[in-house]
Amino acid sequence: MEKMTGISNSGQIEELQNALTQTIEKARHETDDRVKRKLFVQIENYNSRIDKLRSGRLISRQTRRNLVAYSFIAPNFIGFCVFTLIPIVFAFALAFMKWDGSNPISFEGFGNFGRLWSDTFFKAALKNTIIYCIGTVPLTMVASLALAIILNQKVFGRGIFRTLAFFPYVASLVAITSVWKLLFHPSKGPVNNILYTFFHVPQEELPQWFSGSLVVVSMILFSVWKYMGYYMVIYLAGLQGIPGELYEAAALDGAGTWNQFRYITWPQLSSTTFFVVVMLTINCFKIYDVAVMLAGGGSGELTVSATVLVYYIYQKAFIDWDLGYSSAIAMVLFLMVLVVTIIQFRGQARKEAA
Amino acid sequence: MRSARKRAILGKVIVYLLLIIIAAAMITPFLWMFSAAIKSDREVFKMNPFVFIPKVPKWSNYLDIWTRIPFAKFVENTVFLTIVVTILQLLTSSFAAYSFAKLRFRYRNGLFLAYIATIAMPWQVYMVPQFILMRKMGLNDKLLAIICLQAFSAFGVFLMKQFYESIPDDLCEAARIDGLSEYQIYRKIMLPLSKPALATLIIFTFVNTWNDYLGPLIYLKTQEKKTIQLGLKMFISQYSSDYGLIMAGSMLSLIPVLIVFLCFQNYFVEGVANTGLKG
Amino acid sequence: MKKRIISLMMSAVLASMLAGCAAAAPAPAPAPAAEPAAEEAAAPEEAPAAEETAEADAGEPVTLKWAIWDESTTQYWGDIKAAYEAKNPNVKIEMVDLGSQDYMTVLATELSGSGSDFDVVTIKDVPGYATLVQKNAIIPLDDYISADGVDLSKYAGATDQVVVDGKLYELPFRNDFWVLFYNKDIFDAAGVDYPTNDMTWDEYDALARKVTDTSFGSQIYGAHYHTWRSTVQLCAVLDGKHTILDGNYDFMKPTYEMVLNQEKDGVCRKYTDLKTEGLHYSAAFSGGDVAMLNMGSWFIATMMTNLASGEYDPSLCGNWGIVKYPHAEGVEPGSTLGTITGLSVTTACDTPDAAWDFVKWVSGEEGAAVMASSGNFPAIMTDEVKAAITSLEGFPTDDASKEALNVSNLYLEVPYAANVSEINSILDSYHGSIMTGEMSIDEGIDAMNKEVSALQ
Repeated sequence: MEKMTGISNSGQIEELQNALTQTIEKARHETDDRVKRKLFVQIENYNSRIDKLRSGRLISRQTRRNLVAYSFIAPNFIGFCVFTLIPIVFAFALAFMKWDGSNPISFEGFGNFGRLWSDTFFKAALKNTIIYCIGTVPLTMVASLALAIILNQKVFGRGIFRTLAFFPYVASLVAITSVWKLLFHPSKGPVNNILYTFFHVPQEELPQWFSGSLVVVSMILFSVWKYMGYYMVIYLAGLQGIPGELYEAAALDGAGTWNQFRYITWPQLSSTTFFVVVMLTINCFKIYDVAVMLAGGGSGELTVSATVLVYYIYQKAFIDWDLGYSSAIAMVLFLMVLVVTIIQFRGQARKEAA
Repeated sequence: MRSARKRAILGKVIVYLLLIIIAAAMITPFLWMFSAAIKSDREVFKMNPFVFIPKVPKWSNYLDIWTRIPFAKFVENTVFLTIVVTILQLLTSSFAAYSFAKLRFRYRNGLFLAYIATIAMPWQVYMVPQFILMRKMGLNDKLLAIICLQAFSAFGVFLMKQFYESIPDDLCEAARIDGLSEYQIYRKIMLPLSKPALATLIIFTFVNTWNDYLGPLIYLKTQEKKTIQLGLKMFISQYSSDYGLIMAGSMLSLIPVLIVFLCFQNYFVEGVANTGLKG
Repeated sequence: MKKRIISLMMSAVLASMLAGCAAAAPAPAPAPAAEPAAEEAAAPEEAPAAEETAEADAGEPVTLKWAIWDESTTQYWGDIKAAYEAKNPNVKIEMVDLGSQDYMTVLATELSGSGSDFDVVTIKDVPGYATLVQKNAIIPLDDYISADGVDLSKYAGATDQVVVDGKLYELPFRNDFWVLFYNKDIFDAAGVDYPTNDMTWDEYDALARKVTDTSFGSQIYGAHYHTWRSTVQLCAVLDGKHTILDGNYDFMKPTYEMVLNQEKDGVCRKYTDLKTEGLHYSAAFSGGDVAMLNMGSWFIATMMTNLASGEYDPSLCGNWGIVKYPHAEGVEPGSTLGTITGLSVTTACDTPDAAWDFVKWVSGEEGAAVMASSGNFPAIMTDEVKAAITSLEGFPTDDASKEALNVSNLYLEVPYAANVSEINSILDSYHGSIMTGEMSIDEGIDAMNKEVSALQ
């Protein structure tokens, strides 16, 4: 019996091996990528079958391969799972609970979400966050695109300019906001001083950069300044992917700079722009430290005109200890991000289909 | 012909003008910071006339900051955290990313979806449960908490995976046929090829960890464990009117990040271009 | 249907997680409900012996972890630790500095759930105290108090205002009250009489305007209000008729009007400027351009220490004095606001008797003596304590400043209420809105009324 299997095995193996060598030969000479990939799958298939027959091992080749793959993922995944995934599941559950972090949890259902609509501070936070997004996203996009286009040309000192543009992104918020606050100090700062001396803005009308309706404007200005270097790099990468021939052809046709931009650069960059807009929006929703450090003063408290969603999440969680409610607000934030992400996926899918 | 040249020159002039204005806007706050750091409190806001370097520069501000607050300790903590997090992040993400990009295994798509989904999830959404969990594990007020928090980000895996996918599969297949194990392929082929992506990841991780504020604020309570950002904020609230000192401290906190950025920036655009970060 | 399943699943996940957590945590934290009963049973037998145990158990070392703030700039923490350890050689006090900025927030975070290793915590304010009580993070001290016969009348009623459902969870060791600091040099230079111990708010306002100098470059501010809500809103509660928990805040209007008018006329620094700079009141007063500052008595010790150490320039602020807080028309002078700082024993503490002994000692007479020796005001205010403070090197030598320490009515800044933390957040926020001009006084007060009454 044993011998029989052995014989039939060796016959099978030989057969398979022949097929394998043929396929490898074929693959070597194949030029079409798609066919080639199919052949590779076949090779793997043969390999695994031969392997299984030869060794008669308990663990199949596929299982072994799975294990190898998991061993690659494990170090990161374990940390990721414990410190990110589990808390996220927990956060979802908390949104439907009432808990102060110490006493027993009670089930709240959708009560937390019901409270949102009558909460003045939540509405103010939501409104400010959205206004901030609407202001920051287009401005940053335009500024970073313009900068990228300029820096993609052969200009003198290009490297230095690129580095400079990235400085604000690299600088720490605590340090850089402290400078901004002095620069825009309502009564002593250089900016208002210039407005006063050179533009003769009367003293009472000097802008109060960090209070009232101007807070959000300051936040927007600051964010554009700080983050445009980052998005510029992304646009630069996108620009470098546009084939030069397109421009050469356009130049031969006599297209001016503007037309070149309109008919080549902009359409070619559409996927980059899409990505930039989505990333920007998501990051804008998450705004917290910019608001606290620019408008929070020493104690870091934000008034109705400067409060943002994440600040309110933090306050409800770590000051009022209303963890369920805080998670419910976080869910609103998550939903907003989710909507933007879905739009991105849809857009990408459409682009790929086209 | 002439007018075309004129227009070209005009174009150049406009481009340079724009560049200079933008560059000025980018750099002014830093120059002002540098200048204020060597001024006395009374000179900081003096505008007419504005002097960039005062007659008697107060370089002592840079020394005083070390004695007023335990700045050296803050620097030590931050350096330690940043280096450990960056190394861990690089190793674990590139490891996992290799698997996602080049190996076929069960639940691959499911697992990767878990990563993708959390990229869009703002950290603030789950920071509270995360804190509760970490404290149960005894990580509260430990530097290790920040390491756990930062080192296993989904972002790193995503970035590296995108990059590895741009490396042709044939390379790996050929290596497999030559009898290399997956670990060897990762080490001998993929790792050396992924310098731009690694450089990009280094910059991101380094900048994020170095500049993180909310994370350390929640986890690190005692003075000896605080980071530069927390220390700086504390200093600002305590010595609110010592502008010179605040600026000197801020200046010092920028230097390491700038150095790291300058070292790796050559790979940076290439890294971004190839990691699919552009979309 | 689907929703129900999802929510069920979530609860299940949550429950299993919590169970896991509870199992992982070491046993010492008993169920909150069982706690008081167990305490009652144990305390009467053990507590009377507490004093003896502390000394008799010299061989058995105890370490108490104590939460404090600003160790390096505040002298008394170290003094207390040294004095207590000298008396109880087996006890080691381990101080953990949580910083003053977000002290109560950080502390509440530390103490949520189980797993904290603090034994004794300092309570900085009432909203934070309320949070800790509601979280069951600190234990009621009543059984210990009655067992050891601690006389609460020593605290002049301060403890009554922080009783929660008939139980007291903290003992005060510091009791600060608000006074008016002034810079004598500024008054001398302007040729204006010093403030007195008997001023109405109108007289105070007039005086502030008199010393103010708005000429550019040599500005003198007659008054200074730190960005805290207390510096403005609490002036209004000193008539004894209103409290901060009222739910109707119309009574604050006159004070807001006074302060905002002063701001408009350059009598005090602009709130928005202060907020932008994050200017600390100590920096403002020691800068020598502020004539009068309303602030808590803790600033007395700060002034004395920093002038002695050379941190503050004596030529700018060395000649200072204090007087009683201004008062409303028809109210007895000397009515002022109090802020108590207390100590509590945590629920997680596994040596509550030792912790209680420390709390009792610090808030008792011996602790008071240590506090007074560095110019701080202990919760037990006796004439000796006052004499000790006024005779300290650096305390203003005029009689008015000594007299200023005699308080007739003390109102707590915030008494205890179940939702005091939320009320606090609301008032803080709208205070900012009014002061920055985002809202008019009426709008701001209306919003406070509306939001606070929505809480109940």
